[in-house]
Formats: sequence, C-alpha cells, structure tokens
Amino acid sequence: MLSAHNVFKSYRRHAESVQVLQGLTVDIDDGEFLAVVGASGSGKSTLMHLLGTLDSPDQGSITLDGKRIDTARGRERDRLRNETFGFIFQFYHLLPELSTLDNVLMPAYIAESMMGWMQTRREWKRRATALLHRVGLGHRLTHKPRELSGGEMQRAAVARALLRSPKVLLADEPTGNLDTESGGTIVRLLKNLNREDDVTVVMVTHNLEIAAQADRVVRMVHGNIVVDRSLFPKPVLSAAG
Amino acid sequence: MDPVYKFLLCLKYLRTRYLAFVCIVSVMLGVATLIVVNSVMSGFSNKLMDRLHGVLSDVVIETDRSGGFEMSADEINAAIQASPVGKHVEATAPTVEVMALLQFYARDRRGNKIPIMKHVKLIGIDPEDHAKVGRFKEYLKRQRNVDKPNFDLTAEARDRMNYHRWLGDWDPTEQPRPNAFVPPNIIPPADTPKVVVVSPPLSASAFREVGIVVPPMPIIPAPEVPAGPPPRLSGVILGYSLAHYRYKDPETGITEEIKLLAEGDDVFLATVGSTGMKPVYSTFVVADYFHCEMSEYDSSFVYIPRSELQQLRAMGDRVNNIQIRLKPEAAADEKLVHEVIIPELQKLFQPGEAQVRSWQQHQGPLLEAIEIERSILNILLFLIVGVSGFSVLAIFSMIVAEKTRDIGVLKSLGASSRGIMTIFLSYGFTLGLIGSLLGTLLGYLLTTYINEIEEVLTMISGRQIFDRGIYYFDKIPTNIEGVMLAAVNIGAVGTSIVFSVLPAIRAARLNPVRALRFE
Repeated sequence: MLSAHNVFKSYRRHAESVQVLQGLTVDIDDGEFLAVVGASGSGKSTLMHLLGTLDSPDQGSITLDGKRIDTARGRERDRLRNETFGFIFQFYHLLPELSTLDNVLMPAYIAESMMGWMQTRREWKRRATALLHRVGLGHRLTHKPRELSGGEMQRAAVARALLRSPKVLLADEPTGNLDTESGGTIVRLLKNLNREDDVTVVMVTHNLEIAAQADRVVRMVHGNIVVDRSLFPKPVLSAAG
Repeated sequence: MDPVYKFLLCLKYLRTRYLAFVCIVSVMLGVATLIVVNSVMSGFSNKLMDRLHGVLSDVVIETDRSGGFEMSADEINAAIQASPVGKHVEATAPTVEVMALLQFYARDRRGNKIPIMKHVKLIGIDPEDHAKVGRFKEYLKRQRNVDKPNFDLTAEARDRMNYHRWLGDWDPTEQPRPNAFVPPNIIPPADTPKVVVVSPPLSASAFREVGIVVPPMPIIPAPEVPAGPPPRLSGVILGYSLAHYRYKDPETGITEEIKLLAEGDDVFLATVGSTGMKPVYSTFVVADYFHCEMSEYDSSFVYIPRSELQQLRAMGDRVNNIQIRLKPEAAADEKLVHEVIIPELQKLFQPGEAQVRSWQQHQGPLLEAIEIERSILNILLFLIVGVSGFSVLAIFSMIVAEKTRDIGVLKSLGASSRGIMTIFLSYGFTLGLIGSLLGTLLGYLLTTYINEIEEVLTMISGRQIFDRGIYYFDKIPTNIEGVMLAAVNIGAVGTSIVFSVLPAIRAARLNPVRALRFE
C-alpha cells in the first residue's frame, strides 16, 4: 500500500511561500486505479511527485508497504524511481536524441552497469520491443520522438514506464496533450495494465470522463482531498472464499 | 561500474550538439598554438645551444691579460696532459682572441669609394687544431668539412687579388670596380637609376667573358702603396655577415644578398699590441667565410693564423684562450666537468690569471634567458587554453540549460545526481580529448611544414614573416618534444574537465520537479 499521511508541502514563488498541500492524507491500495481530479493549483501534481519520491514533503510522511520512503537516502530513492515507480508525463518527456527503442530502454540503461548490460542487453531489448508492440508501436522502434505523433509519443512513454515492471504507475495528466481518441487509447492501456498486470495506477487528470474509468476518484481542493469515492470497488474476498 | 546511460548520452550529445564542436575547435586551436610555439622555441633553443657549443669547445680557459697566459701554448698543453684532467682530454686548441677594427673599401652605385669600418672579434687560430675542438670546419663556406682547413687562397682568389693590385684598387683616382654595390647604410638619391649588381665572377678572365672591358694597362696609373706596413698576403676567414648583407629593395620588396667582400679582396685589421696599448694593424686577403648561422658570430668573428696575430701583437708563443674538447663520456658527465675537470684545470694557473668555464657557464646568461623566455611564453600561451576552457564553461552552461527537462526525466527514471554529473564531466573530458588530439595533429602538421607555410604567407602578404636578416637561422628551426606534447595534452584535457565541473554540478543539483516543469 502507498500512503501519504498528513502531508504538508509549500513552494517559494518569488518572495512568497505558497502552501500547496495542507495536511493531505490518502491511502492507495495495491492494484488500485486511482484518479486524482481537481482544479489547476489544487496540488494534484505535487501529490504525485511526493508519492513518486521526486520531491519531499515539508511535514508528514509517505510510506510504501508501511516503510517510509520520503526520508530514504538519495540512492534508495533513485532505486525506487527506477524499479518501483513508473512515471508518465503530460508532455511525454522522451529524450529527443534517442530512438523510440532507446527511450524505452532508458530505465534499463540507468539500472545496468556496462558489464551487466553486456550480459542482459538481449533480454532488455526483447522486453522493450514486446512492450512497444503491446502499445502498438512495434513499427516505430528506430524512429526518433520528433517523427512520432503525440499519441505515439505518449504510448512510448507508457512502454518506458513499464520496462522495469513497476509496482506503481504515476501518470500526470497523461491525456492532457492528446486528442480524444488518443487519450482514450492511453486510458484503455492504463486500465488494461491495471487489470491484467495488477499495476497500481495513480492518474492525475482534469477530465472527469477519463477519471470515471478509474476504480476510485479523489477530488482535491486547496491542497486537500474533499471527495474520495470508489466507483468500481474491487471485490473483497472473504477469508473463507 | 558506471551505468550504461552515461556513456550513451555522452556519445549522443557529442553527435547531436553542434555547439560542442565550438569547444573542440577552441581546444584544438589552443593546443595547436601551444605545440607550434613550443616546438619553434625548442627548435630555436636547441639550434642556438648547438651553435653555441659548436663555436665554443667543452671547456674554455681564458685570461684577461693582454699579453696572454704566463706559460706558452705548448707549456699549457703539456701541463694539461700531465694533470689528472689529461685522460679526459681529446683535443686542445690554443687561440688568441682580441677585439679589433676591420676596415675595407666599398663602392656605392655611382662608383664612389667608401671606407667601411666594423668592430670585430679577431681570433688567431691554428685551423687544423681549431677544427678538432669544435665544429669550425662545418661552418666554413668554401672549405666546409675539408680534412685540413687553412688560410690559403684559391687560384681564383689569387687572380682577383692580383687583378686589384694591377688595377690599383687602393688608388682613389682609379676606375670604378665593376662589382658596384650599395652598402647597407647608404640610401641612393631618388633620381639614381636603381641597379643592383651582385658580385661578378672573380677572375680577370671571367670579366672578359662577360664582356667587361678591362682598361688597357697604359692608362691605369701605377698602383700606390697604401700607408702602413706592406700587405702580408695572409689569408683571413671572415664572418659571413661581415662580407654579405641582405638588401631589401623598397620598390619591389625583393630581398637580395649583396656581397661586399669576395675571396681575394683586401681588408685591414687593426688592434692593439700585447704591451703598451700601441695600435698595430695589417692587411689580409679574404680566403673563406665562417657561417655558423648565428648572426652575432657571423657578423663579428674574423679568423687569421695564430702565428700572424701573435707576431702582430708581439706575443711570442703566448695565447689568451685555450679551447678543450673532452672525450664524449667526460663531456656528457656534467658533474665530472664542473666538480673535477674545471677545478683541476684552474689549479694549473696562478690565482686570478685564468678563468676556466664550461661552454654552458660561458653562455650561461643567454641560455638562462632562453629558458626564462620559454617559461613565460608558456604561461602566457596557456591562457589560450584557459580561454578555450571558458568557452567550454559557456557552452556547457547553455547545454545544461537546454537539457534541463531531460535531466528531470532522467532523474524521474532513477538516474542519480552523481550520474548526471558524470555525463557532463565525461562530455567535457571527451571534448577536451578530441580537441587535444586534433590540436596535436594540427600543431604537428603546422610545425612540420612551418617553413613552407611561412613562404606561402610571405608570398601572399608580400612581407617576410621570418626575416632572416633579424633571426639567427636561415630556416625556422623546430623540435617537437614528446614530454611537451604530453604536458600540453594533459593540460588541455584537464582544463576542459575543470571548466565543465561547474555546469556539471549545476546539472546534478537540479531539482527534478523544477527540471520537469522547466520551459
């Protein structure tokens, strides 16, 4: 379970301090598909950055399976971002110098030493190619990001996020820069991953229609959760069952 | 072991960031400049030392006493051989060295006879002995590397000498000599037709061949004997630059070598006697030229037979200078030379009578000046590499700013701050290395073909870049040293790394959230 407990976070903007999160608490179950909605500036992206150890809270704690991760050392946080969390951004953030395949392989490039890479590169390439086929980009392996459409770039970003088989997928407005059809494809992809691979998905979105695809939706206002509603609660198996 | 992404991204940035080539070019130019300048400086230095050592032997014994050493040349020689130093000595050459005035007549374009006077170092030598202690015979123009150099005149020189005698060359009323020339310090009036005539062939028969009419005997006044003692008819070996000079035509810009004194021409040499400071002088006939390519020596050394100078100065068999050539193994051992040989030789003379020095000590101030000059120049030139370092800093800062969002992405994928820093440090190292290697290649080519490049530049610009009239040598000497190449390359690569540290730290410290939001 991924949890944020009584989290406060502020940023300095010029001389002023802007309080973004104000005592936020949320628990995300393993295998859950959570949609976070709210107006701009409500703290959705900040919450996601804190959950994914890209940032640290001023107060409160972030835990993964009961273990605090917000106070982890730099190397441990790097490892978590590489192995446990997968990030999908609104603007795809593919590296423009690399091919689609190399972009997807980047988490493996970061994880492997030169010697390790020599031994495992075939397996990684096979996996990356399979993921690109899965997201429908099997024919775009050697293309550079500038040669892909917005939807294709986002699908490549999803494949990159999945390479290391993360436990949690953190998607920050993954459809925000896409047309309706491409956006729908991405959400279906996330949903399938959640259902089939049991990946926990935390998706920040403005779009309520897309949010409605999630198991649970939380609405944020002024740095706190004001609505927390389960849409498709997962069946709870009884101990006997 | 470093993760793969550092190498991958470093390589990708090299191939796609064209700004990086500016860094490479600036490092390359800095390295090439350092190599060329150092090689030329080293070439100058080596050639200068070679020339200095060629003129001076390994050890030099001198005295300031006008009459020379107390002992005769033979006695000194015997004493040296009998001393502990004797076993290290390969050859000795006693000489007499005095300051003197050289005088001869030159003519301007209108045929006016102009007396030319130069102060020279007059050296009385036994040419065979002198050839054994240094490179004297290598530097002779006509008798270069002959077994036994001498002061004898060639048949042509003798013809020329006789011709001048016959022509009455010392008579102010005689006809202009056919080999008219312009002395260096005489500027012809504007209306004077510009004719530069280089010395014609030297024999009388040669004059007839080129169609110059030799005046018939009867109309030539009988030659008058010049004042002073009659000519001795002894040969003299003149420093090349005393008898030749380079003349640059202001209109055409063409530089020609003009010969002032040909073999067979007469010169006066005046100095002072060994006692009483009385002036003594005599006439000598040019027999050969000494050309060691050191303008200082070429323009001041005048060699005559030692016996002539001893007789002229009434010195008997005494000399004031002994050049000693050591056996190669002794000469190579500086400690032996300075701690044993020189003190032992000093013991042969009365206190204050003689000064014994190695050739390096003799030329100490000059050699030291060259070293200091080289060090200062190196420091100044390294600023060029420093400037290229600043270009690395500026361009890297731009690249880091440009790559801010990518750095955020890499961090979100698990890249460490140290890893990000390593990417940029490796990038700086690689740029420095490529720049240094290209600079080394460019520097090597420029150094190897520097004389050809100088010729082309001179042809294009019309100005002589390397003026042989000013510098010591006819060609730009170069010497590429391995140690220097290594030092320059290490320095350049080190500078590139040092100047990429700041942008690399900045990249490493980027907050991933801010980096991802960077626009």
